[in-house]
Amino acid sequence: MPLDKAVLEELRRAVGREHVIDSSNDLRIFERDASIEGAVPDAVVLPANTAEVSSVIRVAAKHRIPVVLRGAGTGLSGGAVTVRGGIALQVTRMRRILEIDPIAQTALVEPGVVNQELSLAAASHRLFYAPDPSSQKACTIGGNAAENSGGPHCLYYGVTTNHVLGMEVVFADGSVQWVSGDAPERVGLDLCGVLVGSEGTLCAITKIKVRLLRMPPSVATLLAAFPTIEAASQAVSAVIAAGIVPAALEMMDQVCVGAVEAHYHAGYPTDAGAVLLAEVDGIPESTVELMAAVRSVLAQNQGYAMREAQSPVERDLLWAGRKGAIGALGRIKPNYYLHDGVVPRSKLPQILSAVGEIGTHYKLPVANVFHAGDGNLHPNILFDLRERDVLPQVESAGEEMLRAVVELGGALSGEHGIGLEKSAFMPWVYSPDDLDAMRRVKDAFDAHGIMNPGKIFPDPERKVPHLAGRTGLAIEAKWW
Amino acid sequence: MVSRATAEKPATAEELARRLHEAAEAGLAVFPVGGGRAAEMGDPPARDCIELRTTALDRVLEHSQADMVVSVEAGITLEALQAELAKSGQFLPLDPFNSPGHTIGGLLAAGWTGPLRLRYGSPRDFLIGIRVALPDGRLATAGGRVVKNVSGYDLMKLHYGALGTLGVIVAASFKVFPKPLQDVTVESAHESMVDAWVAAERALAMPMPPAAVELFSNGRVLARFLGSPDATKRMVADLGWKAVDAAAWDLHSKAAPARWARIAMPRHQLRSIVDNLGAGEQWWASPGTGIANWDVAGGADDVRAVRTAAGAAGGSVVLLAGPSEFRHDAGAWGTPPATLHLMRRLRSAFDPNHVINPGRFVV
Repeated sequence: MPLDKAVLEELRRAVGREHVIDSSNDLRIFERDASIEGAVPDAVVLPANTAEVSSVIRVAAKHRIPVVLRGAGTGLSGGAVTVRGGIALQVTRMRRILEIDPIAQTALVEPGVVNQELSLAAASHRLFYAPDPSSQKACTIGGNAAENSGGPHCLYYGVTTNHVLGMEVVFADGSVQWVSGDAPERVGLDLCGVLVGSEGTLCAITKIKVRLLRMPPSVATLLAAFPTIEAASQAVSAVIAAGIVPAALEMMDQVCVGAVEAHYHAGYPTDAGAVLLAEVDGIPESTVELMAAVRSVLAQNQGYAMREAQSPVERDLLWAGRKGAIGALGRIKPNYYLHDGVVPRSKLPQILSAVGEIGTHYKLPVANVFHAGDGNLHPNILFDLRERDVLPQVESAGEEMLRAVVELGGALSGEHGIGLEKSAFMPWVYSPDDLDAMRRVKDAFDAHGIMNPGKIFPDPERKVPHLAGRTGLAIEAKWW
Repeated sequence: MVSRATAEKPATAEELARRLHEAAEAGLAVFPVGGGRAAEMGDPPARDCIELRTTALDRVLEHSQADMVVSVEAGITLEALQAELAKSGQFLPLDPFNSPGHTIGGLLAAGWTGPLRLRYGSPRDFLIGIRVALPDGRLATAGGRVVKNVSGYDLMKLHYGALGTLGVIVAASFKVFPKPLQDVTVESAHESMVDAWVAAERALAMPMPPAAVELFSNGRVLARFLGSPDATKRMVADLGWKAVDAAAWDLHSKAAPARWARIAMPRHQLRSIVDNLGAGEQWWASPGTGIANWDVAGGADDVRAVRTAAGAAGGSVVLLAGPSEFRHDAGAWGTPPATLHLMRRLRSAFDPNHVINPGRFVV
């Protein structure tokens, strides 16, 4: 439903005429994020600063219009989709790194700063920002904080919430507040802690203070092949059980390795049932000792063709294969549906065999590329949207995989969020009382429900999902 | 004086929730107690409370060694949990002061940490699931038993350090850690505090950072290196301090001043606040995290003065222990944050009649 002309005028006054988009053709660009569903917003507003964000939210609050924050639109759970219409609040004009403090080892950034840009900027001080989602070349720190994003190196370093020191936020009434900050303790409740990962349903994030880490003086990266995905899973558990927590421990199955090797020529062994990418860092003594220990555990668990990167270039190539794996899958099928779930690490063999069986049942190829050390799997269901009636099959297969994750004692999402995609599944893991506790938190922050409505909580009244594919746009779009 | 004549010691989480609900229905208040090690934290309760003891809830619910995840009931002591984890070479990196005897629920509610926070962070970073009893008698769970989870709101963060005001913690799940391959402790002693601070900073700047660095008001500095054998050996050699027995940490964990204030500062502001405490004051500090523990020799005026200076530099001073008169005079928390109205709304959503710890917390 288009917004009232008077409301649009108020929004234009808040951010400037040229920063409000309301023509139906232009709005269509903002229909989707990187997930499977879409919905066209009624208006897109691009604020330049905190004061403008506050003004926009005040207008929205006055008229009870939904507000959906949007960064780079790389989210995988539909967090930025305006499922109830309303305003898409696009923060990409707010993209300044306001401060890097090399002494305190912190950075203060606006929400639209791209994840990798921050690490590049910090590199001149020999510092880095640890959370590294595979989309780090595009995704924003604001989006990372909203979703509590992870990445390969979160195994050792922790996810976004472990690195956010404080935030400036705008609440549903337009008020601006700082939550937490540089001090290690705060007085009162940890609002910052619950706002990180709240998927835009409790506040808008306008500034983020993050911790930067000293770059380790030495890094060792190893690629190892395994005859089967089960053997590789067993090896992952064995590494951790040996008391070693590597900086990263990533797995790719044969489908993935084939696509990656064809694309990157990184020397991945295409005959292997699965490969592991293991990285340790620290001072030279510890990387030597830890890598020797990792190699020995992998060898005892059927690891072969082990190859350690001999140069930074070689290391980057190995990582390019991992981080670009999903794009490379386009060689197999043009479209994919990337799922996210976490199981206890020891359940990896079971979940991967269940995922394989589900793929076979639905006659859909599945490629696995994931954070094995955390038990965080990412099955990619590959398909071609031009095939008739394929989407319901893809969705059913994904739902069955998640069900299997939950049945093994796992979680619905490790790093992509619940959003729109998984809200209906929340009762699989949480009781009505559990969900009621979360609902009370939502209501305490956003009594009128204007912040990103229709996300996280199951919606009994929700109509049949509107799949973006049906608009015909997604066929050209790169799904990832 | 607050009388706590009645004490309840429920045997199950369900029974605890029922007792809590009965108290709420009867218009009574409860004071949850685990090991009682942080019983003096906060302002004295505003009205009579029934003691609600969690110590009968002392089981390890599940320890999955391969997954390095443990779930426990809230009343288990930290020592009992560590003993269970040690059987498989694992541990929870939590070493609070006023030990031994803390329960897990008490530690989470009070938010107390120790020297190892430098390397491992606080339970905020490794608490992965929580179950709480609410005054309406319900039990609510958040998080789960996996190490990475963004399913729904992170209510673990809200309950951690909330002194039970959003619900009484009955169970918790943690990500645990492998015992380090090598664990070495070294110390250095200094006549001048200037030298002692320099020494602490030098330890912190080592290429393999120490897991803990503690600085004492008598000029002593303790540092702990965890890691692979050659790496720790090199750090110890490069630093050149005297090796001491790891028992130094056990002794340190017993510290518990009778009038105890926790100073928490942005890391590089800590020294200026601690330097101004006065020459005769006893304290110990963790210069890498920005936290100091102060054994307050003076009265409420001294606390208020330090609190003003700390607040101006972006930090806080919170009382962890003391006679109720002292806590009443100084105030346990200081100036509440600007977001107090939101915190109040959250509290009202879970405990509208302030049944749990009335008047004790900042909210």
